[in-house]
Amino acid sequence: MTPFDLAEPRTLREAAALCGEDSSGNSVRAIAGGTALMLMMKAGVFQPRRLVSLRRLEARYSGITVTSDGGLRVGALATLSSLARSTAVHGAAPVIPQTLKTLANVRVRNVATLGGALAHGDPHMDLPPVLTALGASVLTVSPSGEGARAVGDIYTGYYETALAKGELIAEVIVPPQTGWRAAYFKVTTRCADDWPTLGVAVSVKRYANVVTDVRMVVSAATDKPVRLATAEKELRGAAPDAARLSRCGEAAASEVELAADARGSSAYKRELLRVYAVRALRVALDYPS
Amino acid sequence: MTSRSPAAAVGRSVPRLEAHAKVTGRAEYVHNLTVPGMLHAKVFRSTLAHGRIRKIDTTAARAMPGVFAVYTGADIRKVIAEPYYGPAFHDQPILALDKVRYVGEPVAVVLAADVHVADAAAQSIVAEYDELPAVYDEVEAMTSQAVVHDVLKPAGTFADLKYLKDKRDTNIALDFHLRRGDVAKAFAAADHVFEHTFRTQQVLHVPLEAFATVAEPSGDLTSGALLLHSSTQSPSFVRTEIARLFGWPDNKVRVKVPYLGGGFGAKVYVKSEALAAACAMLCKRPVKYALTMEEQFTMITKHATTLRIKSGVTKDGKITARECEVWWNGGAYADIGPRVTQKSGFTAAGPYDIDNVHIDSYALYTHLPPAGALRGFGIPQLVWAYESHTDMIARELNIDPLEIRRKNLLREGRPQATGTPMRDAALDLVLERLATRMNWNNKAKPFDKGAGTIKRGRGLAIGFKASISPTTSMAIVNLAADGSCSLYSSTVDMGQGSDTAMAQMVSEVMGVPIEKITVVHPDTDVTPYDMATLGSRSTFHMGHAVKNAAEDARDKLIALAREVGLAAETTPIPDIFRKKYGMLAGNIVGVGSFIPPYTPPDANGQTDNATPFWMIGATGAEVEVDTETGEFKVTRLVNLVDVGKSINPAIVETQISGATVMQLGFTLSEKMNFSAGQCINASFADYKIPGIRDIPPMENEAVDGNQRNGPFGAKGVGESGTFGVSPAIANAIDDAVGVRLMSLPLTAEAVYRGLRAKAGNPLKDI
Repeated sequence: MTPFDLAEPRTLREAAALCGEDSSGNSVRAIAGGTALMLMMKAGVFQPRRLVSLRRLEARYSGITVTSDGGLRVGALATLSSLARSTAVHGAAPVIPQTLKTLANVRVRNVATLGGALAHGDPHMDLPPVLTALGASVLTVSPSGEGARAVGDIYTGYYETALAKGELIAEVIVPPQTGWRAAYFKVTTRCADDWPTLGVAVSVKRYANVVTDVRMVVSAATDKPVRLATAEKELRGAAPDAARLSRCGEAAASEVELAADARGSSAYKRELLRVYAVRALRVALDYPS
Repeated sequence: MTSRSPAAAVGRSVPRLEAHAKVTGRAEYVHNLTVPGMLHAKVFRSTLAHGRIRKIDTTAARAMPGVFAVYTGADIRKVIAEPYYGPAFHDQPILALDKVRYVGEPVAVVLAADVHVADAAAQSIVAEYDELPAVYDEVEAMTSQAVVHDVLKPAGTFADLKYLKDKRDTNIALDFHLRRGDVAKAFAAADHVFEHTFRTQQVLHVPLEAFATVAEPSGDLTSGALLLHSSTQSPSFVRTEIARLFGWPDNKVRVKVPYLGGGFGAKVYVKSEALAAACAMLCKRPVKYALTMEEQFTMITKHATTLRIKSGVTKDGKITARECEVWWNGGAYADIGPRVTQKSGFTAAGPYDIDNVHIDSYALYTHLPPAGALRGFGIPQLVWAYESHTDMIARELNIDPLEIRRKNLLREGRPQATGTPMRDAALDLVLERLATRMNWNNKAKPFDKGAGTIKRGRGLAIGFKASISPTTSMAIVNLAADGSCSLYSSTVDMGQGSDTAMAQMVSEVMGVPIEKITVVHPDTDVTPYDMATLGSRSTFHMGHAVKNAAEDARDKLIALAREVGLAAETTPIPDIFRKKYGMLAGNIVGVGSFIPPYTPPDANGQTDNATPFWMIGATGAEVEVDTETGEFKVTRLVNLVDVGKSINPAIVETQISGATVMQLGFTLSEKMNFSAGQCINASFADYKIPGIRDIPPMENEAVDGNQRNGPFGAKGVGESGTFGVSPAIANAIDDAVGVRLMSLPLTAEAVYRGLRAKAGNPLKDI
């Protein structure tokens, strides 16, 4: 790893102004927990001259609050550990602390931030599919002003996001989950501490015995988190009986291309998706396992 | 001296001597060592599996500010005329000369005071090659037109390799053959003949301290002398080999070894030392060559293998003949592979009493990173094959897997395939204890086979290993006048607890409390010769040398007491010295050495003494298989070993569990994936060693054995826990869902594909 300069601005605006490019045209990026960037730097894939640390920004960007409507407003610099420990998060979106249990390890969770986990763009990460399923959105700050976008709209490809240079995630908004229940399966096929072979996140809104709305997301085997639109359509407005769930799993397995890697072939991942889409739905519907 | 004896030091779970220093961060490692004026070496590596070097362009590297020097193979020749090293073959160049033979082979080196500068400069080097055909598969290498080395260059250290000298156009670095009885006749007469082929994958040791050497020119710089601080398991070998390379006497090279952050067989023989030494002699400055974790993928690995095994069996399950062919993928440089091929190869038929045995074992060169010794020295690959095969026979003949092993097991005194009679090998005890702990035959409480989409199964496997022989250990025990004691031994404590075990032996013999014993770490100017810390040999071999040295010191103390008219049994040690020398002065030096008796095998691999002792290890596994996905969970592992008498039961237990967990990784998740000879998962995000959440509930037991020719009845323990793990789990999977896996690692996808194939609906690739 080669040495670099580290700027430590005190305000988010200042940080956004420092990011982008320096006078010699070198890319200047933000670093929060650094758990992903440092690995890339050690491997020599990323060799920055200058980084902008987000660690000393205003305290409110690390805060977690319940909004008046029962949703969550989380500062981008909240660590994953603070999310895991937060009673507000447990109450509003229990799938988040459940996901964090198997996300990396305690050392990573203690420094990695929510904003970093969303902005990095690695399709193997757990929170992008989960927050997409929850219908969450982000507020961003850039030198040119403020913006907002759905988490599901952040990702444009493999390690590619719609975030502009110098555009930093400031806060994450999770809408109220009244009537919804979510579940996430991180499917690992080699070790417990491995990137997922497949990530499957679902969120189901149910009234009486009808699924009134549903979001299903697959990740890890795709370039970016992908909504399973056909499977969702299969379930929306229907009674979620075993036959319906099975058709939903079939639809999920048919509608996306899954990439082969050391964790499994495309054909096998498709079988996993078929099974785990149903399993995730069953958890979200509170069916016995 | 019975009055001075502490409560029997041997056999007690004495806490590790180094535990406090390690947990408080005070233990010394070469990885952390800096010396004044030191330069860092960073290596530029080959990106091609096989090619003739056309040009190495180091211009940019040399021009980089802060770069002290850039060297290629041609520069190495200025200080070492024949810069090839290796324990079995002198085949490995310090930096590539003329050709590269695997992706990752060192081609050039940059020296700089700032490690980042060295790193950046190494990355700026460009090489051009004429690509040559390459061979990667061990079976193809037998007949391939692509040849790794034009001429074989056996080192001369091993007499039985001499026949390979000057042999041309072959990739076979050693062919070992064992013939006992008449296999063909027995196959013809057998009720059943079974034949299967198994495979294992190339994997890595992954010590948490990567390879590191600091080489300091010493003496007057003109005559040449070197001090090497190295993370090595074999200081004596390194001294001799580095001295040979420079054409110096041994005593011009001093090798010092502090603690090791793990070794597992990776750090035996010469690894990072030769390049560090050559650089130091070229630039006349201290040089540190320390690899990154990721660079470990380019240094040394464990052999991938193909194993064909064929058995003739009577209808009631007695094995009458076994034929084994083993192909060991040794990579581009032989390292110790030829020894693995022979010394482990002769056990390829398993711990069974078989009259007719035929073994062919081949060490092959390929264009992959070199393979050497890794915790088990080839045995886990062999046990994987013969214990899977044995189970398949049992299932085919509808015989209980425990029963078929009982029926065929080698009993005490019976000849093993080499003809060497089994002595103090508690195979039967280990198997029976395993059966008991697994509740194998408990009719009252039959094994729960699971229900619905979760099926349960259980399996067992037993293996054995001979100790590499013959090898030598020397030790010195130095008793100071105040009654404190130092042990000088070149055994390397790399985490296995040898310091503690050796100190216990000194304590036991001398009657000196363990707190008063210091273990002096290997320093070839100070500590005497030891072959190396490998192959579970230290407890037995160094244990004998230490015991002999301690007995020598004790006898000399008794003689000294007698000389001055005191009773050694009742007089405090300082009083004896005081009486002799008029004050607290002088010391007593006890020396000890050990080499076991051994008979080299004849042309048919037959010998009456193949090994000083046998290591025995067995594992029982229980698994749960998810039939919808093929995912499986190991829910219980029971490990049984025979280590003779335990010197330190607590350390023995950690050795069993450590070995088991290591083999669990090789069984379930670890695999180097290659594309055109390039390892494409050379990082620990993509090459997965087990984490704490992958470790199943485990029970470990050392049976009540006794190695009568061992020191205090003890024998080696470092590897036995690895033997049975892989086949026990594969056998359990078969028991659960009727799917037989023939290749390691055992993956969920392989199980799933097996389930689909069994259902007549094989998974089609997209």
